[in-house]
Amino acid sequence: MSLSSLTKDWEPMSYGFLDASAKREIRRKMLKAVAVPGCQMPYASREVPMARGWGTGGLQVSLTLVNPKTTVKVIDQGADDSVNAASIRRFLARVSGAPTTLDTLEADLIQSRHRIPEEKLRADQVLVLQVPNPEPLRPVQPNMSIARQMHADADYGRMWLQLYEQIVRSGRVMQGASYPSLVNGRHVMTPSPIPRWDVPKLHMAEHLTILSAGREKRLHAVPPFTRVEPLVFDDVPYKVEEHGELICGRSGAKGFFMNEIPQDDGTSTYEISDSDYGVKTIRQAEGAQVHLGETWYKNGELS
Amino acid sequence: MLEAPIPSQNESRANQAFDALLMSLSRPGDVQVLPVAGEQTIVEALLDRECRVYCADPMLMPGVLATGAMIAEADAADHVFFGNTIDPATLAQIRVGSDLYPDDGATVILRAVLGSGPRLCLSGPGIEHTKEVSLGGLPSGFWEQRRERIRYPMGFDLFFVDGDRVMGVPRSTQVEVL
Repeated sequence: MSLSSLTKDWEPMSYGFLDASAKREIRRKMLKAVAVPGCQMPYASREVPMARGWGTGGLQVSLTLVNPKTTVKVIDQGADDSVNAASIRRFLARVSGAPTTLDTLEADLIQSRHRIPEEKLRADQVLVLQVPNPEPLRPVQPNMSIARQMHADADYGRMWLQLYEQIVRSGRVMQGASYPSLVNGRHVMTPSPIPRWDVPKLHMAEHLTILSAGREKRLHAVPPFTRVEPLVFDDVPYKVEEHGELICGRSGAKGFFMNEIPQDDGTSTYEISDSDYGVKTIRQAEGAQVHLGETWYKNGELS
Repeated sequence: MLEAPIPSQNESRANQAFDALLMSLSRPGDVQVLPVAGEQTIVEALLDRECRVYCADPMLMPGVLATGAMIAEADAADHVFFGNTIDPATLAQIRVGSDLYPDDGATVILRAVLGSGPRLCLSGPGIEHTKEVSLGGLPSGFWEQRRERIRYPMGFDLFFVDGDRVMGVPRSTQVEVL
């Protein structure tokens, strides 16, 4: 045994920014998260050159998975070109040498803030969602030790009560984003603040989804072909946003999740939230050869 | 513009090995390919000083020790390497975690013959309907013992290694021996 056999070669920096021990810890936790779908696994959450709460959890998972052959796509509320998405994409490419893309169909690894792309993800793609608050029980139980015990006991009565109270007070479920969902019939998870429109996309999906909260230091996962059922009462069906009839003012795409843009005269116009799908629709209308993938929603209805 | 970094050999081996592990665990019964035959790349991808390891295979021991992992008995280990010899008494001691912390359940890596032997029917997360696989080289009563020990979400997660091929069976999978 010599010193050189005990040490690794010198490197100017770790590949993919994170050091090897940080990656090994995240790897171990990702395996456990996949083995127990929807259960929050604590991890150390290392420092990355970005403030906690801006996607550091998703970034650490992406940095662990990335290699020079992974094509990376980063979206923020559906858009590829927002500041958060553009900076994370540039950082990932800079520290890993991975190619980047805006096209959902070309990507191997998709890191996303609060949206799932409209085009169906395939079995070979991995979706990484950034999570601000991984604990679905926090509104009803701020003490996280007690919340953990409630998860252990599958004691979700208060979640139902919260939904019931919303219906009694307002006539409908007021939860707009991060709709609590039962995973694999056992753990209630927050699907990160994706709109209700996106939650059914996780149910029995072909792709693996990893949800990681850097500030809260927890990650959970939804493996492929796993039941993800939004909590609903038998007589009050789950409703997605009524965007099925809306038409994008820029691309003409119809039947997808839209951003509402208020106008000076008090009315609103709409713009498709998945910016790349909008761009592809425009290019197709202009006569370019574009491949539009199969979408989860067809004519505004979940297929 | 900075030059794009190039991963070292260790880094890309660990990355590929983990990719195979993650994909095989998220699709139980599917066979993935490790970068190098044997468990060594799994050891390098997962283990370090924070781990407690039970290793029944003396050939694997130097690799495990080189990671700095602490050697432990089966009932205290978070990673268990059986090699070829799967002892039912040891299997009965493997940590299954608790309802509060299911992640304390161990990761178990053992050798098996993929593609021949008794037929199993798998179902659960990661499998659309059911999946039939053949898996040989395991002691009789292995699956019954696993079923007795696992009370979801408590349990342990299995990786079967055959040369450079690996198959995962997480605790969430129901296994029926046909």
